[in-house]
Amino acid sequence: MRPLFRRARELTFERSYSAPIATVWDAWTRPEMLREWWGPDNTTVTDCEIDLRVGGDILVVMEAGEKMGKYAGTRWPMAGTFSLIEPHSRLAYDARSWTEGEEETTTIEHTNTLILSADGDRTLIDLSISITAIGSGAKMAAFGMKWGYKAQLDGLETYLATRGHAAP
Amino acid sequence: MDATTFAALGEPTRLRIVELLREQPRSVGDIARVLTIRQPQVSKHLRVLREAGVVTVEPVARRRVHHLRAEPFEQIGSWVGSFERLWDTRLDRLDAFLRSADGGPAATDRRDGRPDHT
Repeated sequence: MRPLFRRARELTFERSYSAPIATVWDAWTRPEMLREWWGPDNTTVTDCEIDLRVGGDILVVMEAGEKMGKYAGTRWPMAGTFSLIEPHSRLAYDARSWTEGEEETTTIEHTNTLILSADGDRTLIDLSISITAIGSGAKMAAFGMKWGYKAQLDGLETYLATRGHAAP
Repeated sequence: MDATTFAALGEPTRLRIVELLREQPRSVGDIARVLTIRQPQVSKHLRVLREAGVVTVEPVARRRVHHLRAEPFEQIGSWVGSFERLWDTRLDRLDAFLRSADGGPAATDRRDGRPDHT
């Protein structure tokens, strides 16, 4: 079957941080620093391994704490391989993120590219996350429908809304 | 995210039916004719799609017309949305980390010396 998922979806984030470029670089590349900020509130980073060289691996696992209620104990790993490293300037890795135990339906494959630049005594970061694939073939198809045909789905929404108003 | 949605869409013929219904709502007979599939087979696939909440049916004049429901597709989109929000939150936390005393000597200096920088 021809995959419907044809194009990557790109997420881009820009931030300005009040810290020198070397500190921001370390925060992304030193496990003892990264684990301090990687997980959202009420999660902890239980595993963090970074082999900072091209071809080296990065593994970060965050785990939901007690305050996350029904999610408590759930683990969300991200495993990747560095494809580019220019110290204090840019890094890139190809990675997979998933919910442990639900790999089939939750895996997102993505390429993260991080670019750092100095701005006076601040540091700008430009992070782009290109989603390249979703787990199984079924999901790729489903996502293709969402993204590749967004216009049609917008049309569908309009249609459903109109139909609602037209109903007796 | 609902695994039954993916299971329903994972079958090639059902996906073709869904693609067809994206254009416009259709009756079983319409679908069978356009896709050149036997009508009982179309009915069988439509039942799976209905049970997964992907498709719904309603009478229009004397025909039973099938159309897509928006919800499952919105769910799929919201899953990716949660991935995007996670990264957004993460980058905010990095900001908090860099401002904290634990953020290393440089960040500590920055905090202590804040009046110089703001």
